[in-house]
Amino acid sequence: MTGIFASDKRGSLIAVGAILIGLLLFSLLTTGDLNLLGTEGFGAYLGTINGGDFSITLLSGLLRGMLLFLVAAGLSIVFGLMDVLNFAQGGYFMIGAYIAYEVHHAPAIIAAVPDGNLRFLLGAMLAVAVGAALGAALERGLLRPLYARPLFQLVITFGVSILLLEATKLLWGVSPRSWSTVFGLNEGAFQLFGQQFSVYRLFVIAVGFGLIVAVALLLQRTRIGIIIRAGVQDSQMVEALGINVRAVFTAVFTLGCAVAALGGAVAAPFLGASLGLSTEFLLGAVAAVVLGGLGSYEGTAVASLLVGITQAVIAKFGVQYLNQPVWESLSPMILLALVLLLRPSGLFGKE
Amino acid sequence: MQLSKGVSWRAVRQNWLLIAALILLLIFPFLVGALTNTDPTARRGLAVYWQGIAIELLIYGILTMSYNLLFGFTGVISFGHALFFGLAGYLMGGFQRAPELAGSGLAIGIVVALSVCAALGLLIGTATLRLKGVYFAIFTLAIAEMAYIFLSRYEPTGSEDGFTLGALPEWFDPTRNRIVFYYIVAAIFIFTFILIRRLMESPTGAVLLAIRENENRARTIGFNTLTYKLLAIVLAGVLAGMAGILFTLLNKKVGPEMLGTAYTVNPLLMTIIGGAGTLLGPVIGAVGLRLLELQLRNVQIALGDAVLDIGRALPIILGALFILVVLVFPYGIVGTFTRWRLNRRARSAERAAKQAEALKSVS
Repeated sequence: MTGIFASDKRGSLIAVGAILIGLLLFSLLTTGDLNLLGTEGFGAYLGTINGGDFSITLLSGLLRGMLLFLVAAGLSIVFGLMDVLNFAQGGYFMIGAYIAYEVHHAPAIIAAVPDGNLRFLLGAMLAVAVGAALGAALERGLLRPLYARPLFQLVITFGVSILLLEATKLLWGVSPRSWSTVFGLNEGAFQLFGQQFSVYRLFVIAVGFGLIVAVALLLQRTRIGIIIRAGVQDSQMVEALGINVRAVFTAVFTLGCAVAALGGAVAAPFLGASLGLSTEFLLGAVAAVVLGGLGSYEGTAVASLLVGITQAVIAKFGVQYLNQPVWESLSPMILLALVLLLRPSGLFGKE
Repeated sequence: MQLSKGVSWRAVRQNWLLIAALILLLIFPFLVGALTNTDPTARRGLAVYWQGIAIELLIYGILTMSYNLLFGFTGVISFGHALFFGLAGYLMGGFQRAPELAGSGLAIGIVVALSVCAALGLLIGTATLRLKGVYFAIFTLAIAEMAYIFLSRYEPTGSEDGFTLGALPEWFDPTRNRIVFYYIVAAIFIFTFILIRRLMESPTGAVLLAIRENENRARTIGFNTLTYKLLAIVLAGVLAGMAGILFTLLNKKVGPEMLGTAYTVNPLLMTIIGGAGTLLGPVIGAVGLRLLELQLRNVQIALGDAVLDIGRALPIILGALFILVVLVFPYGIVGTFTRWRLNRRARSAERAAKQAEALKSVS
C-alpha cells in the first residue's frame, strides 16, 4: 500500500509548502506598519510587527480551512465518484447553521434543555440528520433519474441550492442571525502572543482534523473505502464486478451533505447564520476542490487549509491596508477564479 | 418562391403563427387602448400600464433568448448570466447620468456597455471554455457573485440602493412617451429573434448544435469548437446586455439585484419551461412565466384562519417548479409539442407504409 501521499505528489506537496510559507511570511510582515518603512527605517518597522495579530490570522485561517474542508470533502468525493458537482452543497452548510442557531436560541428549547452544551450537541445532531435526509432525497429523488443527462444534473443541483435559499428566506427572513447565547465550550479562552482566543475555535479545528483523519481511514482501510476509491477511478468497472455502485453513490452523497450541514452547525457560534453562507462556502469549497485536483481526497484536504489561510490573509490585508472589509467576502470568488485561470487541473490532480 | 415576385404563399402558410404574433406585437399598444377605452399615447391609464407590462415581457424575452442561445443551442451552462444583464445596466446608467457628457452620455453608455459585455464574454470564454463544461458554470457563478457583492457595497454606485438615471430625452422617456419606447423595445426584440433564427439556420448554427450533441465529435470532424463557443457566449452576452440596458431605461434605475441569481435563474427556468433549444420556446416561457408571476404576486389564499401568502411564497413555488420541470418536462412546451407532432407524423407514415405493404401482398 502506498502512503497517503504517493511519491509523484511530492512535487505538489513542496509547492503547497512553499505557497503556505510565502503566505504566512507575507501575513506576518504586513502586520507591521508598512508606512514606517519609508520614514523611520527598517528597524522601526520591524518593531511594529505584531505576533498576536499574526496568530489571529493564522488561527482564523486554519479555522476557515477546516470549515471549507467539511463542505469540500463531500463535494470532492461525489465529483470523483459520480461526476456531479453539487451546487447545493453550500446550501446544506447554511441550513446546518440555521438549525444549530434555532435549537440554541428558541425559547421553548431553552426551557426544555437549559444546558447550553447539550443544546449545542442537539442542534448539531439535528443539523446532521436534516442534512443527511435532504442529501439522500436529492440523490435518490432528483439526481438518479438524470444520470443520462449530465447537463440537467448540474441545473437541478443549482435549482436545489436556490430552493434551499428561498426556503430559508421564508422561514427565517433575510436578516442575518448572530449567535448571542453563551455555552460552556464557547466561554473558555486561552492566551497566545498576548491575544485572547476562544477554546471553541480550537475545538472546531480539532473536529476538522478528526474528520480529515476519519475519512482518510474510511477511504484507505475499509471495504467501502476501497469501493469508493475504485469507483473514482472507473465506476462502470466497479459495477461490472457486481458491486451495487448506485447504493454507494447514495451513501457517499448523503454523508457528504451531512458533513456539510455539520460544518454549518459548528460554524454558527462564531459566523452566525445568514443567507450569504451558502454561496460563500460553496465557492470557497469549489476553489479547494479544484485546487486540490478533482477526485483527490488528500488534495482536497490540503487545498482546503490553503484556501482557508489565503482567505484569512487576504481579509486581514484588506482590512488593514485597503480599508475595505469587502475583500473578505470577495476572496473565495477571487481565489476560485485564479485557480481556474492558472491551474485548472489542480495541485494533486491528473492533467 | 422569390421575394422579388412578392410574398410567397408557402412562406406565409409555414410561418402563419409568427406573422400573427408580429402583427399582434405591432398593433398591441393601440389594441390595448381600444380594449380598455383609454388613450394609448397618454402618460397614464390602463393602456399605458399594459404597455409597460408588455415592454417588461419583451425585455425578459430578449434575455431568455440570449440564455437559450448558450444553454439550449450550444449546450453551455452559465450560472452567471445576470452578470451581463446587470453590468450593462450599471455601465449605461453611469455614463447616462454623468453631467460632463451632457446629451451624448446615453449613446456612449450603450456603446460602452455592449462592448464591455462582448469583451467580458470573450474573456470568460477564453479562460474557461477549453475546460469541462462544469468549470464554465462555476466560473460564471463566481464572477457574477463577485460583481454582485462588490456593487452592493460600492458606495460611488449607491451600494445596495443603486442609483437612478438622469433625465431622459422627452421622446425617449418610458414614462412620458411610453409608446415610442414600446416600439423601440419591440424592434430590438424582433431583431434578436430574427438574428438567432438566421444564425441557427446557418452553417454556424449547425456547428453549435453539433457541439451541444457531442463536442468531441464536432472537434474530430475538424471544427474549432472553441471559436464557435466563443461566438455563442459573446453574442449571448451582448444580447443579455441589451436587455439589461432596456430594463434599466424602463425602470430609470439600476441596483445590484440586477446581478443577483434571480436574473440567472429566471431565464434558465423560462428557457426550460418554454423549450430549450427551440426558437419560440424561450419567448413563450418568458411571457408565460412572467405573466403568471405578476398574477400571483398579490394573491392570498385564506384557509380558515391561516392566510397563505402566495406572493411571499412565490420564489419557493418557482424553485419547486424549476425542479419539477427539469425532472418531468425537460423538453418544455415547444419541445414536447414538436416531439409529439413528429411522433404522430412518424406513426402515420408507418401506418401508411403498412397499408401499402398489405395492399401489395393482396394484389
